[in-house]
Amino acid sequence: MSMAIITRGQARVVKGTLGIVLFIVAWQVSVPLVGLGPYFYPGPADVLRAFEDLLAKGILPTYLRDSAGRYAAGVLIGATLGVVAALLIGLNHTASRIFAPTISFMFAIVEVAWIPIFVIWFGYGYTTILIALSYVVFFPVLYNTLLGVRSVPPVYVNAARALGASRWQLLSNVILPCALPSMITGFRVGAGFAFRGLVFAEMVAAKTGIGFLIFEGAANQETARTIVGMIIMGLAWLFIDNVYLKPVERATVERWGLVITAQARE
Amino acid sequence: MSAHVPSPGRAAVGNFLLAGIAPFLLLALWFVLPHIVSYQAYKLPSIATVAGRMVEALADGTLFAAIGASLQRLAIGFTVGNLIAIPLGIALAMNRHVADLLRPLLTFLQSIAGIAWVPLAIIWFGLGDAAVVFIIANTIFFAAIYNTVVGVESIPNTLHRAVRSHGARGWQVFADLILPGALSQIILGFRTSMAYGWRALVAGEMIAGSSGLGYMTIEAVQWYQTETIIMGMFVIGLLWLLMDRFIFTALERATVVRWGLMQR
Repeated sequence: MSMAIITRGQARVVKGTLGIVLFIVAWQVSVPLVGLGPYFYPGPADVLRAFEDLLAKGILPTYLRDSAGRYAAGVLIGATLGVVAALLIGLNHTASRIFAPTISFMFAIVEVAWIPIFVIWFGYGYTTILIALSYVVFFPVLYNTLLGVRSVPPVYVNAARALGASRWQLLSNVILPCALPSMITGFRVGAGFAFRGLVFAEMVAAKTGIGFLIFEGAANQETARTIVGMIIMGLAWLFIDNVYLKPVERATVERWGLVITAQARE
Repeated sequence: MSAHVPSPGRAAVGNFLLAGIAPFLLLALWFVLPHIVSYQAYKLPSIATVAGRMVEALADGTLFAAIGASLQRLAIGFTVGNLIAIPLGIALAMNRHVADLLRPLLTFLQSIAGIAWVPLAIIWFGLGDAAVVFIIANTIFFAAIYNTVVGVESIPNTLHRAVRSHGARGWQVFADLILPGALSQIILGFRTSMAYGWRALVAGEMIAGSSGLGYMTIEAVQWYQTETIIMGMFVIGLLWLLMDRFIFTALERATVVRWGLMQR
């Protein structure tokens, strides 16, 4: 009888956890079979030891705080500038036609490719990382907002105008709500690229942070530390995605019925 | 009368001219900047220097060699990653218990795929080609397997029941329902996974490579050859736009859009 109380959702969580446990067990079992030593192939036990060590020495909390600070600052600056630029350009059709192709070219020069010239301009460090992250959020937000503004059906604009809407009313009641889903999509795309960009930028241009931990661990032949860094990175992204990005999408886009999610369809 | 018909050719020329304004302004700014602000010449070489570097790199073949090395790695990584991930993803997703078991693990692994594997790749394969190909294949693999599993799962249950109640079994279910049902998601996933793969390529070459566009630009930092960096950036941007336009958009048009599963 007790089986019947477990819902499908709970069963999924149980099975998913079991999958992760099985993966860790298989990894541990494979260590003596591979037998290449902890430098080439550390096991979960080595990784756990490295994790405790990094935690006890206070390295991990410091690095995590540095990375989080850089990421939050970069994403916020990029998104804010992106929205402002999009409103300046996007509300004017000619301006939008002038800038859209150049914007898509600038976005095609991936942030990773900007790191070398940022290093020349700003040196190794915080400024380079911050600008690279802002860059990779700025362009998708800008570009997708432009697309969103352009996709507003002219009928809506004409209807609002005919009913006597002022320029500000037109913007706040018609254009922005129509462009918002596209804008949010751009933000999520940018936030995803920025996260990987952060890890890379920290490998190249920083002396702290999760990306630096991943890089430094391998350079010092402490591969277990590298894997600790990778796991923390994965958990951090799942946290950011589930706690910040998805709720934003839910609170705006889905609530207004603009996007039907897979969940709602079930 | 014919004068009143708007010609599509003229509109295209208009668009082209408008689109040229912003790059022209950027170039003009670049041109006058040294006359307004003073900075060391190596920080931003003149347009002529960059153009000269480009002509030189085109003439001696180094630029084509770098492009060729990068694209070859990308192609191998993309092919290998997808060839392993798609069949495996379909096999996993066809069994609901297996899919439930693996979904959280795959979500997790997908979120660390790519650049974070660079140090491990260096340990396992050494600096060079194999490490970079591994990083790209790894990025593509995790994105593709995730997309495939989601694609198979997005097939509505009613279709499963309909197909089965009409007597389809085994291979028929796979060929007539699962594969076409999951294919649009898989094809749409190509572009996203390639966007991450392209970044992983450039990043991987910068840290672990010994040739290619990423290696060329990071190597130039050592010698303050900013003109080589700018040339590399320009080529990286141009190649992505060309790939996006002539491979992925074209592929989506020929498949997903044509099947009526997505409007453009």
